[in-house]
Amino acid sequence: MRVVIAEDLLLLRDGLVRMLTDTGHDVVAAVASAPELERAVADQRPDVSIVDVRLPPGFRDEGLRAALAIRAREPRTPILILSQYVERVYAAELIADGQGAVGYLLKDRVTALDDFLDALERVAGGGTVMDPEVVRQLFARNTGDQGIAALTAREREVLGLVAQGLSNSAICAELVLAPASVEKHIGNILTKLDLPPSDDTHRRVRAVLAYLNQ
Amino acid sequence: MIRRGAHALAHLLTSLVLGPATFVWALLTTLVSGVLSFTYLAPPAFLLVTWMTRRIAGLERLRAALVLGRPVESPYSAPLRGNPWSRGRALVREPATWRDLAWLVLLFPAGLAGGLAGVLVGLVDLGTILAPVWLWAVPNPYLPPVVDWLFNTTGGRFVLTVIGLLLAPAVWWLVTTAARLQATAAAALLEPGPRQRLARRARELAVTRRRVVDAQAAELRRIERDLHDGAQARIVAAGMTLALAERKLRQTGQTAGADIGTARRQLDEALAELRRLVRGIHPPILTDRGLTAALAALAGDAPLPVEVRASELGDLPPAVESAAYFVAAEGLANAVKHAAAAACTITIERGGDTLSVAVHDDGRGGADATGSGLDGLRRRVEALDGTLSVTSPAGGPTTVRAELPCAL
Repeated sequence: MRVVIAEDLLLLRDGLVRMLTDTGHDVVAAVASAPELERAVADQRPDVSIVDVRLPPGFRDEGLRAALAIRAREPRTPILILSQYVERVYAAELIADGQGAVGYLLKDRVTALDDFLDALERVAGGGTVMDPEVVRQLFARNTGDQGIAALTAREREVLGLVAQGLSNSAICAELVLAPASVEKHIGNILTKLDLPPSDDTHRRVRAVLAYLNQ
Repeated sequence: MIRRGAHALAHLLTSLVLGPATFVWALLTTLVSGVLSFTYLAPPAFLLVTWMTRRIAGLERLRAALVLGRPVESPYSAPLRGNPWSRGRALVREPATWRDLAWLVLLFPAGLAGGLAGVLVGLVDLGTILAPVWLWAVPNPYLPPVVDWLFNTTGGRFVLTVIGLLLAPAVWWLVTTAARLQATAAAALLEPGPRQRLARRARELAVTRRRVVDAQAAELRRIERDLHDGAQARIVAAGMTLALAERKLRQTGQTAGADIGTARRQLDEALAELRRLVRGIHPPILTDRGLTAALAALAGDAPLPVEVRASELGDLPPAVESAAYFVAAEGLANAVKHAAAAACTITIERGGDTLSVAVHDDGRGGADATGSGLDGLRRRVEALDGTLSVTSPAGGPTTVRAELPCAL
């Protein structure tokens, strides 16, 4: 894939470049600030961009703002946000447009190389990827929720994986379940949470996230 | 002696003159303000009058200070803002406004009493001492025999001088006491009253507290940034390197020795970074062994000879201990970085409830006392009600000195 990287710390930028090139990807631009990112995405039209939340000049959430601005101009531009800390609010802003092709991951996840590359592929393919930590926080927020309370332990597990953006087959692999039972679980979850039934993974993930974020 | 007497006499004399004047001023302005208070001219008139009154009161403070031999503080609160009405209201509410006026009225009788007691006696005695100089010019017929001899013969006039000189100490005492009484009364009314003292202290505390909170917040932000950009980033980078090495091993069976070496170096750097950060927050040796040992360690790590002179310090509050440590550390760092010093002395001693720490270097001086490092220290010290002074003339030497109250 053709990738753009926006990360202000040289150490991490180089690490990401090395990791992606070693695994056969093509880093078309590696920049260190939000304005440079917007230019690079406009010029290069990459398959996916990896963006640090915190970028110069302000070192607050310039990376996220730039990502939102890019997607406002050009919807469905695939962007994976990396953050040293999980901020549920940032994740929510990112998925709010309901377009998919976004991801929000903790920076530390890059060391689980295969999972990270898999997440990158999914974002590039129009999917939604959520860090397990964000999903955990969403669940913690919804402890008093009637719909969630009605779920069995297994269904809750499946829901967590759906929210992270995993496809049916990935959930099968993760929980070592037959495809039929995963589909059954998901059907039950959608019914209990009063969500529209759907076979489209992306739409389903968005519906679940929207539900958890309400 | 002579000067104090002269001061006192001058004070009494000027009081005599000023008393009626200020009395008339106070009376007139009060009347004018009272009459105008029903019109829209009241606020500007009142502001103007008060401004003038405060100038006069300022003069009175100076006069009192001369006699008392100490400064007499002015009690006014901060300069006023807003429209004339609100400023006028603030002035009316301020006790100092009325205390000024009270003194200006009181100065009349006080000046009169002091003047009569002091000036009359003082001048008569002066005249007696100087009798030979002037009495011959004033004819005094029809005097009783003894007095006649005293007044109208040269010898007698010199006897008068002796009598005057003998009386001088008593007269001196009377004059200075009268003047001091007047000045004390003036100071009592014109200085900040207890309420104002408290208000002023509260304002000072509010300012220092805000600074402490700001400094604390800035410090936390700095720590967070240092962690984020330093140690955390290095650890993530090491993780990436290891992930790549693992992948190489798994997929191709090629050796990953170089990658693993890189990852180890990155982890070592992350640890060093963390240690540096922790030392900057609170040096562990300070916790373990106290201030003197921590300063000795600081001196041992310095790239120039540092002598630590420490007396027995007893038990210190942790905040004071750590502030004193950072004063020494910052002073030492400045001596190394900016002053190009060849040697440095850290002196730390406790006198009663005050801990004083001083860093003295023989460098080139010219330190900027408002620089960010020293300013941060100042906030830290002021937060504990202490003071920080920096003397650093161009050409050196430089002394950074902090006095910290350390009542447990």
